[in-house]
Amino acid sequence: MPLDTSTYSLALLRVDGRRWNELRRVHAQIRTQAAADGSSYLEMGHTKVMCVVTGPSEPGPRRGGVGGGGAGAGGGGGAGGQGKEAEVVVSIVIAGFSSVDRKRRGRGDKRTLEMQSTVANALAASLHTHLFPHSQISISLHVLSQDGSLLAALINAATLACVDAGIPMTDYVVACTAGSTSTYAANDESADPLLDLNHQEEQELPGLTVATLGESDRVAVLVCESRVQVSRLEGMLAVGVDGCKQMREILDRVVREKGRRMIQEGTVEKGIGLNEMDVD
Amino acid sequence: MASLKRSLDTDPFASNISSKVYVRSTKSGKVQKIVREVYLRQDIPCSSRLCQRCLNTAPRDAAGRATPFVLSEAPAGTSVFPHGHYLVPDTNAFLTAMDLFEQSSAFYDVIVLQVVLEELRNRSLPLYNRLIGLTKSEDKRFYVFFNEFRLETHVARQGGESVNDRNDRAVRKAVAWYNQHLARTGAKKVPAVVMLSNDRDNLRKAKQEGIHACSLSEYVRQLKDGDALLDMIPESEDQESTIKEKRAGEPLYPEYFSMSKMMTGVKSGLLHQGIFNVSPYNYLEGSIRVPAFPKPLLVLGRENINRAIDGDLVVVEVLPKDQWKEPSTQVIEEDAITKNENPDAEETGDFVSEKERKALQEEVKRTHSKTTEGHAQPTAKVVGVVKRNWRQYVGHIDQSSVSQSSQQGRKQDTVFVIPMDRKIPKIRLRTRQVAELVGKRILVTIDAWDRNSRHPTGHFVRSLGELETKAAETEALLLEYDVQYRPFPKTVLDCLPKEGHDWRVPASTDDPGWRDREDLRDLLICSIDPIGCQDIDDALHSRPLPNGNIEVGVHIADVSHFVKPNTAMDAEASIRGTTVYLVDKRIDMLPMLLGTDLCSLKPYVERYAFSVLWELTPDADVVNVRFTKSVIKSREAFSYEQAQLRVDDHSQQDDLTKSIRTLLALSRKLKQKRLDAGALSLSSPEVKVQMESETSDPIDVKTKELLDTMSLVEEFMLLANVSVARKIYEAFPQTAILRRHGAPPKTNFDELANQLRVKRGLEISVESSRALADSLDACVDANEPFFNTLVRIMATRCMMAAEYFCSGTQAYPEFRHYGLASEIYTHFTSPIRRYADLVAHRQLAAAIGYEAVNPSIRSRGRLEAVCRNINVRHRNAQLAGRASIAYYVGQALRGKATEEDGFVLKVFSNGFVVLVPRFGIESLIRLRDLAEPEPAASYDAETYTLTTSGSREVTVELFQKVRVRVTDQKDETTGKRGVKMELVSVY
Repeated sequence: MPLDTSTYSLALLRVDGRRWNELRRVHAQIRTQAAADGSSYLEMGHTKVMCVVTGPSEPGPRRGGVGGGGAGAGGGGGAGGQGKEAEVVVSIVIAGFSSVDRKRRGRGDKRTLEMQSTVANALAASLHTHLFPHSQISISLHVLSQDGSLLAALINAATLACVDAGIPMTDYVVACTAGSTSTYAANDESADPLLDLNHQEEQELPGLTVATLGESDRVAVLVCESRVQVSRLEGMLAVGVDGCKQMREILDRVVREKGRRMIQEGTVEKGIGLNEMDVD
Repeated sequence: MASLKRSLDTDPFASNISSKVYVRSTKSGKVQKIVREVYLRQDIPCSSRLCQRCLNTAPRDAAGRATPFVLSEAPAGTSVFPHGHYLVPDTNAFLTAMDLFEQSSAFYDVIVLQVVLEELRNRSLPLYNRLIGLTKSEDKRFYVFFNEFRLETHVARQGGESVNDRNDRAVRKAVAWYNQHLARTGAKKVPAVVMLSNDRDNLRKAKQEGIHACSLSEYVRQLKDGDALLDMIPESEDQESTIKEKRAGEPLYPEYFSMSKMMTGVKSGLLHQGIFNVSPYNYLEGSIRVPAFPKPLLVLGRENINRAIDGDLVVVEVLPKDQWKEPSTQVIEEDAITKNENPDAEETGDFVSEKERKALQEEVKRTHSKTTEGHAQPTAKVVGVVKRNWRQYVGHIDQSSVSQSSQQGRKQDTVFVIPMDRKIPKIRLRTRQVAELVGKRILVTIDAWDRNSRHPTGHFVRSLGELETKAAETEALLLEYDVQYRPFPKTVLDCLPKEGHDWRVPASTDDPGWRDREDLRDLLICSIDPIGCQDIDDALHSRPLPNGNIEVGVHIADVSHFVKPNTAMDAEASIRGTTVYLVDKRIDMLPMLLGTDLCSLKPYVERYAFSVLWELTPDADVVNVRFTKSVIKSREAFSYEQAQLRVDDHSQQDDLTKSIRTLLALSRKLKQKRLDAGALSLSSPEVKVQMESETSDPIDVKTKELLDTMSLVEEFMLLANVSVARKIYEAFPQTAILRRHGAPPKTNFDELANQLRVKRGLEISVESSRALADSLDACVDANEPFFNTLVRIMATRCMMAAEYFCSGTQAYPEFRHYGLASEIYTHFTSPIRRYADLVAHRQLAAAIGYEAVNPSIRSRGRLEAVCRNINVRHRNAQLAGRASIAYYVGQALRGKATEEDGFVLKVFSNGFVVLVPRFGIESLIRLRDLAEPEPAASYDAETYTLTTSGSREVTVELFQKVRVRVTDQKDETTGKRGVKMELVSVY
């Protein structure tokens, strides 16, 4: 076993060589699947997820009963496909090969269900669902590899795919995780907050996931499943919100870069709405 | 078509990203491949005070503070590196010579590489922790350089390269980088960066690459006081291999199984794992308790013991039935048998010496002569060691192993060290300072035990002083029992109240200290303790209530008010775990100021207390109980004797005396209830050493008297502990700190029951504690009042040890305290001297809503760790206390010879053990002590009778009363002064 998180105080270095306020390398792409309405691929360190958005479209005939062929669905936002607002349906599939020990998660997995509804609620609040009554936006997320901060990566990927799908939204919903350098029981006063936890840190240290609306300080999601000293929470939250701002920059760059390239390649004319765009 | 494919070159981060891939196997045998990111950076400072550039990019923590640089700008030089030097040791250097790095005379300015730290952690966690401790010490100037995260020093493993080779290369690369980096600082005297390694190949490659490198011994020789330190370097592997080449003899011991073979064997039930224990009377006999069998397995003989040392976690294989044996009835002492072994000529001669063979032969003869097969016990042999439990051992050099020439000169010589603990084998030690060390108490560690070495090899750590001096013997004792005896560090003393001895309970009841505290200052409270007690934990009161019931209060020092969780003082106390009482010395758990003044419930002053208040009926039934923090003022601090006198003196009719009488009456009823419930009254021979007040030399030994007032205090403390245990368990079902005493396995009593049946026709029943208590009561001998106590002493030794535990780890029925016959129990009444009580105080305070629940008393993992530690500390403290008494009894008897009555506790075929109640000591009398020449003897194991003939004719039986002459004698084996007994006559 290599060193664990307790060595942070020796040289202010984390287990993977980052400082306390550094994100992992983020790599993102949009429009990865031409056939989909919107799609994205996102890596935060070794956490790799892809996302495909379908819709807004008419809810299928299967709706109303059980979620038919689709993987377990988390609904949220609006009063279903029949309501005045579009319904956001999220499904998350975690590949068996995504973590070190091949663990199969069934559809009913509680953690997956919870993440589905968290993502759905977060996006429903930011997407202009009232523009699409009686319709459904379905977001399917696939986890290819896990190395911590999974929920944050899922939210970021879903945002990118919604941007790609051209669904109007208030701002990016960007997420990242924050933690603290010493455990709950250690009660160490000089604990530093940490940004963007990897798997090992997530296992050993307290942490939370925070999502904000773009550059504003408006928190859209705040999930904390570990014990944290109240005194450290503020620091962690501040670092997390700051990380979200960095994340927005990165995602924004990805979107603009893709747009610039598409104009260069002539696939789209400047000033034309994305909906009329015809790729290929 | 868009594609997910991307090349790393286009990624701006790619140049400083790497990944670490390794394979690990889990406990269940699965193999996992782990991939971790590694971010390479250029802002990891060299931490040398010479370097300006690194200072500019030095990392800052979240509060914006930069870490100060560690390595000195003018490090010490050696003969080879006159401009000063920084050391970069490799993993082996730390593994083999950690003691060296902890020296205060040398080894400053050390750069610990991350790769070394990681490898060390894999190899030995204790060493890793010691190294982390060193890096935290400011004056040693150890700096951890994260070479794997620095772009320039990161090394990727090449194809076909072994992990060790890669790590060595990483070390060399880091050293090379440091040298270049420091050269660019432009300092006048650039210190050399020197790699320390014992690996020849690594040293050779370093030389090729032009890097400064030395082996440990080369380096130490360059130092000024090198010779003294040279001894601390363990024999390096290289030397060992040359020796092997010289004498290509067969290895002496069988090879250990591989770890995976052992684990598979254990899992399939073919092999067994357990802790190896050596018999205190026979160093060639060990036993191991394994979960698969009710009785322990025997391990007999050097070959079967196969280099296991007392306390090691070993794996054993059961031997075929024809090799099963009886447990030895013979005393075999290592010094007598291996006395003339030459430490140098180790490998020559037979492995199992002639004498050892003879000793074993006798055993076999006897087992074969027995027709009763049932007596033979399963035996086993050690096939591997899972975990060594080696520590530092206190001992002295065996005078006989020292050659004449080494008395002068500084030639390296090999000698034997005889550890104080008889269960530990002799340790072979190479040293240059034999002349200085002979006749001293020394501290040594074991480095290794090779297959081709009869004895383990070790190295010298430090000298404690002359044998038999009080200072050296006391320190030896403390080290042997791992008692933390160093003075409290400054960080701990900083936690004390600023007012010092002038601290008072605030006069105004509005003070925050008074919050939620009851004012009990007007109650007639007094404390009853042994004479001269300074740390008064507890005080009591009673008063009649209008309804005819009685209010009884137990008031315990409110230590948790002064020792807050997560302070340095709390950490220190949790490590110390308990106060250790030696005959002439007390090693405190808490600093003096608290223990003997501010917390101590001294008379006539106001003190904070934690009170348990009961309403009891006159029949001592509890009507209700409540707990509160309080302020009390003790009226008087009695000694047991004073209190007893006062109670017995009928002319004393004041309220205080009356209340003590009430308490005494109630305590008798409480005790009776406890005994009715099946509480055991056990016994151990306890004595008290009387010291001359000025020189503190021991002058006499007295057995402890039992007074009613002692039982008074004890009963109410038990009641308080039980009440508190119920309360905290109710409030914290998962994390309450409790104390349990397991029922002893029936087999523990087999031998005692058999002995009693054969010798006295008495039966012992162990179905329940009640049955045991009753059958112990029945063990009386009309002619010998002490016989009952004797049986109780022996029964006590068959018991399990009580232990602290965290309530979530056991099911409720397991909470039971067997000895006290209580369903639930904890320790609450002595927070000044026990850490468990302090935790119980915090939990109780939280349970009654006095203060918020601190996470440290809610975290189960942490409490379990605390329990583990205090269980060990508690036991060690008891052992240390007993050893101290034994030492002083020896000192008190110095130069005197007295005749005393004793009882035979145990009979061997060549000796017997006698207990002398007057001094609380037991000692072995061997056949050869009886007469010269050694009388012949026949031993009847059925009736536990030893009959000698020839030069002296006596018959010794178990439980027999004998007359012995007690003298003092310096024990050659342990170097301790102890008692020696000679048999005068048999009654």
